[in-house]
Amino acid sequence: MKKSEWSDREIEELLRQMPKVKDHRNPIDMNQNFPFKKRNAFPWLVPSIATAAAVFLCIILGTKFIGGPTSQLFQEKSLNEKSLNQQITLKKENIQPKDQTFSGSDNREPLKSSIYENEVRKGKVITYWIPDEQAQNIIPISTIVHNIKNKSRLDVFNEKMAQLNENEWGLDDFYPINADFNFNEKSGTVDVNVPADHEYGKGSSNELMFINIIKKDISSNSNVKKARLFTDGKPGIEFGNTGIKNEIMIQPERHHAYLFYYPNRHESPYLVPSIEPFENIRDAFKAMKKDRNGLKKSMHLKIKENELSIRNKVLYLPVERDSKIKNDQLTVFSYEALLLTAKEFGMEKVVITDAPIKQIGPFDLTKENKVPIAPNMRNIE
Amino acid sequence: MDSVFDELYNKYHQDVFQFLFYMVRNREQAEDLVQEVYIRVFKSYDRFEGKSSEKTWLFSIARNVAIDYFRKQKGWKDKLMEKFDWSASQVKDSDPIPEEIAVQKEEIQWVYKSMEHCTMDQRAVITLRFIHDLSIAETAQTLGWTESKVKTTQHRSLKLIKRHMETFYVKEGSNSDEKVRVER
Repeated sequence: MKKSEWSDREIEELLRQMPKVKDHRNPIDMNQNFPFKKRNAFPWLVPSIATAAAVFLCIILGTKFIGGPTSQLFQEKSLNEKSLNQQITLKKENIQPKDQTFSGSDNREPLKSSIYENEVRKGKVITYWIPDEQAQNIIPISTIVHNIKNKSRLDVFNEKMAQLNENEWGLDDFYPINADFNFNEKSGTVDVNVPADHEYGKGSSNELMFINIIKKDISSNSNVKKARLFTDGKPGIEFGNTGIKNEIMIQPERHHAYLFYYPNRHESPYLVPSIEPFENIRDAFKAMKKDRNGLKKSMHLKIKENELSIRNKVLYLPVERDSKIKNDQLTVFSYEALLLTAKEFGMEKVVITDAPIKQIGPFDLTKENKVPIAPNMRNIE
Repeated sequence: MDSVFDELYNKYHQDVFQFLFYMVRNREQAEDLVQEVYIRVFKSYDRFEGKSSEKTWLFSIARNVAIDYFRKQKGWKDKLMEKFDWSASQVKDSDPIPEEIAVQKEEIQWVYKSMEHCTMDQRAVITLRFIHDLSIAETAQTLGWTESKVKTTQHRSLKLIKRHMETFYVKEGSNSDEKVRVER
């Protein structure tokens, strides 16, 4: 029997049920594969200058030989010209790879990892704090959400937390949090309600992680100063170690130094604030030069933190004159860690003075650069 | 900073990837072609005039990239000829089914297999219309066609898929006594 069982409408319906296929590659790794991002506007310029210089040399030396009386000299001249021509060719060959190293070996343009003001437009930036696989550090992951219409930031936060790909990012599967988050306009608090069978109270690391993440999530995404805790609608959450807690005070997170955290199986580090705060920005910069509590050193620029100055929320930071700053991915991450640390101390812009290089990745070091809105941008869809 | 480019990338690259996946029917190839799409976007986004939406503009570039890919394919003429030779192609089942499709119910797998028999244009229309949920007008804008051409192509594609579904039903589904119906 050969009979169609499907109408056009049914086929349409089946087509709509086709699976959503996603590109699972890490956006940063993917971006690095783009061979073009920063193209030299005048690729012919350096070889041309080199050729012109070589021709100029040729003329100068050539004139000297032409001035000579004997044919032997003429012979020498032609020999010299020949060798000069060879030099020119060699020079040309030498110049090209040199030019390439300026924008990074193998032509890859280093990329930034944080979110900056000009990228946000009408979207909203949401930051989720996610534990690493060893539950040692909490990593801030930020995303820009577009097309929000009339939704509040908390609505978007609730909606998107089910879509986080923690495992793919080399982090611990923590979200969605088994709790409802609601903003209580009357009390000006975020009310966190867990079900009766929640497991956040079992084990000290569980409860510490839960409380810290709630604090950091609320602090990063709102100005709310207090979270009230509920279990199944009744006040308080019982934690194994600390007993019943009814509320958590939310302090703004400030004065931390940003260091690197390398997740397993990933090459790119996350920029992560130190656990402890620092008294001043100089100490924070110093702390970035060493590994600390499972985080790796993030300062790969030879900064002179003792000579820094601050004017109108702009940080002026000199670097060693003879320091060789590379235009590579590690340096870009390091510079972003510097910007984020500066932000922790209320800075809005940073100027590197005496920079021996004009550009690192997307950052123009001849100008002041704004501090990021949030670290570690990832797409959530 | 190429913030506009970055935004185009962050906002749409999953859509572009999915479109290419259903066009070329191969994850690795789609990954490579996404890169090609964004190279073209990078070369031309400063000239983008905003006459169409960013999304339809990106889809139109992705479609051109997919067409170029098929042109470069060895033996593409043979593949094209098979499209016209119904008797030769109706039992063809050459490419392995991607994992994402293989885990779906049988009818979805048949739809996917049937799409292989569509022409590039037919595949583009049904992918944009039903998988990406674009309107007739948006699809027309993406393909640079009139709306009536989109409707005609859509109609023909659905007929073609239906015909192949019948064949799959006879070939693979007739062993089962259950009547094959779409879950609504």
